[in-house]
Amino acid sequence: MTDLLLQADAKTPVARSARGGIRWRGMLPYVFIVPPVLYLAVFMFYPLGRQIWLSFTRTRLMNPNRSEFTGLSNYERLFADPEFYMALQVTVVYSALAVILGVTVGMIAALALNRPFPGRAIVRAVLLFGWACPNVAASLVWLWIFNERSGVLNTIVTGLGLDRIAWLTTTEMALPSILLVTVWQVAPFVMLVMLAALQSVPEEVKEAARIDNADSLSVFRAVTLPHVMPTLQLVSLLVAVWSIRRFDIIYLLTGGGPIGSTSTLIVKLRQIAFENYDLGLASAYGVIGLILALTVAVIHALFNRRRQKRSQQ
Amino acid sequence: MPHIELDHIGKSFGTTNVIRDFNASIADGEFLVLLGPSGCGKSTLLRMIAGLGDITRGILSFDGRRVNDWTPSQRGVAFVFQSYALYPHMTVRENIAFPLVMDAFRKWYHIPVVNTVMRWKLMRRADIAERTARIAEQLELTALLDRRPANLSGGQRQRVALARSLVRDPSLYLLDEPLSNLDAKLRTQMRAEISTLHNRVRKTFIYVTHDQVEAMTMATKIIVMNKGEIQQIGTPDQIYSDPANTFVARFVGAPPMNLLDVATARGTVSIPGGPSWGHEAAPENALMGIRPENLVLNPEGDGPIPVEVVVVERLGAETIIGCRILSDRRDQRFLDTDLVFVRVQGNPRIVAGTRYALSYAAEDVRWFDRATGAAIPHATALPNCA
Repeated sequence: MTDLLLQADAKTPVARSARGGIRWRGMLPYVFIVPPVLYLAVFMFYPLGRQIWLSFTRTRLMNPNRSEFTGLSNYERLFADPEFYMALQVTVVYSALAVILGVTVGMIAALALNRPFPGRAIVRAVLLFGWACPNVAASLVWLWIFNERSGVLNTIVTGLGLDRIAWLTTTEMALPSILLVTVWQVAPFVMLVMLAALQSVPEEVKEAARIDNADSLSVFRAVTLPHVMPTLQLVSLLVAVWSIRRFDIIYLLTGGGPIGSTSTLIVKLRQIAFENYDLGLASAYGVIGLILALTVAVIHALFNRRRQKRSQQ
Repeated sequence: MPHIELDHIGKSFGTTNVIRDFNASIADGEFLVLLGPSGCGKSTLLRMIAGLGDITRGILSFDGRRVNDWTPSQRGVAFVFQSYALYPHMTVRENIAFPLVMDAFRKWYHIPVVNTVMRWKLMRRADIAERTARIAEQLELTALLDRRPANLSGGQRQRVALARSLVRDPSLYLLDEPLSNLDAKLRTQMRAEISTLHNRVRKTFIYVTHDQVEAMTMATKIIVMNKGEIQQIGTPDQIYSDPANTFVARFVGAPPMNLLDVATARGTVSIPGGPSWGHEAAPENALMGIRPENLVLNPEGDGPIPVEVVVVERLGAETIIGCRILSDRRDQRFLDTDLVFVRVQGNPRIVAGTRYALSYAAEDVRWFDRATGAAIPHATALPNCA
């Protein structure tokens, strides 16, 4: 068929356009693939590769082009530093609690909004505000809310006859306060996604469970939860990865303090890179953060695979 | 087993009346089929009986007790959904055992971890495991017990849905178009299986369908519905032989009953612009109804109604012949009436374009009021045809 077209090509303009069509069709997938590949290469793979390379070098911020390969020395320094373990612990605790609390609150809000009640659209719009609000603006608003002297929270606390609380300046309260802001921001996103998933649960299966004598909680456990579980897992993965690399809220609210109690890997990375000018060590922190995020992604993939295997039984 | 009474039942969605003044009595062990076209309210009625939908008006009672406000589980019914509504993440075994596990479930089992442990224990409890295995065996599902619904065929899923409804031994089975997703062959097989099941368990079945073949083959009693109202209640034979109105006459039967708009006068029946023939005591202002199998196809000139064959449908065991009645007028070949269908046994050599004459026995004719469509009782029309 192609030969015939090629023969005809030499003689008629119609055939030439047909051959051009075949060529164009062959190129088409690459035309679509090239932009995202270029984007990822320039903005993701190159910086990632560069970061990994830098983590094996001694590089100063003042002269980043003069790198000296030092092998694993940055990692040796990092693993010998107690502050690294502190940052790692804070990152893990913060991310885990952000996932547990953010997803739980978001799920409860989605379940509430999944039932019809007057003013549901307004409530949904109000609840989405936290997610829609820019991080910096939200952080500044929360700084005012947490203000020890004039903040809304302490006004309420003193109104209840209790002592003022130093929300952001004590090691006991700083991380919970940051978690509160994180949940305020993450839960609306979780709610939105989970609401969409909840609305796709087949009504007939829920009715079948009710006929089978299941109470509301059993219907939720037996029908709703398994149906939305893939979405729940995906949302948890996203929240976990976002929490591992969250910088703006933590930096603006506490700057990683007090005494490193809210200093996550990413906050520590900024401090080492831009205050100590040590790009090599900062890159090693970045690689550890990357490994942490990848570990979460691998756990998610394993869960996914297990679920798929079970569904194929 | 409950005796079910539906007393002036009505259902409205806002200002739209879906079911109007529904009255019926369903005896113990009956296989009742709610038959009607899509959107006639039959599924809505079934859901009201199950407790899945509110009753707007009227009283639903089981054995004389008003059950309008009872929950589905309090009513002790089994419901087989059109989509089967199996629990997709559970195995066939877990699906079948689920109602039994829920019956044995206690409030405190909701405590996390306890829940998982107790459900695991309940699944292994001797009586639940034995009952699940027995029902699976009855419905030939034993080999599939550890599979999930996604890996079952339509017929197998249907059987799992039936097994799940059977396992609790309920007194009332409600089935909402359970065969509509199956192919024709499987539908025939499952029809027989459901009938056998009814004969074995001897419980009350209420079955919703728009398929008249399902209704005629399985029901002990049929309620034909249209636009939320009862058109006729009767046995399959009554519904087919003595339809209460033109809707039932046309809805039940394939091809449907032939309805001829005839003029009657002094013992003769005529079709305006066409043939006339003798038929004593034919009522005035009536439509003449006759089933396709009650018409006889004779050679041309050997019957009162001259026709020409326009379509022949050969079904193997029988042949459906569609005819047009010939006109008396020179400018018109056929009368402007619906096709008249004739059902003949076997596969006769009949081709389109051939002319024949139709005859019938007068006792096979049913008359319907032209204005209301209601059937005119037999006594009014004497059986005598020229």
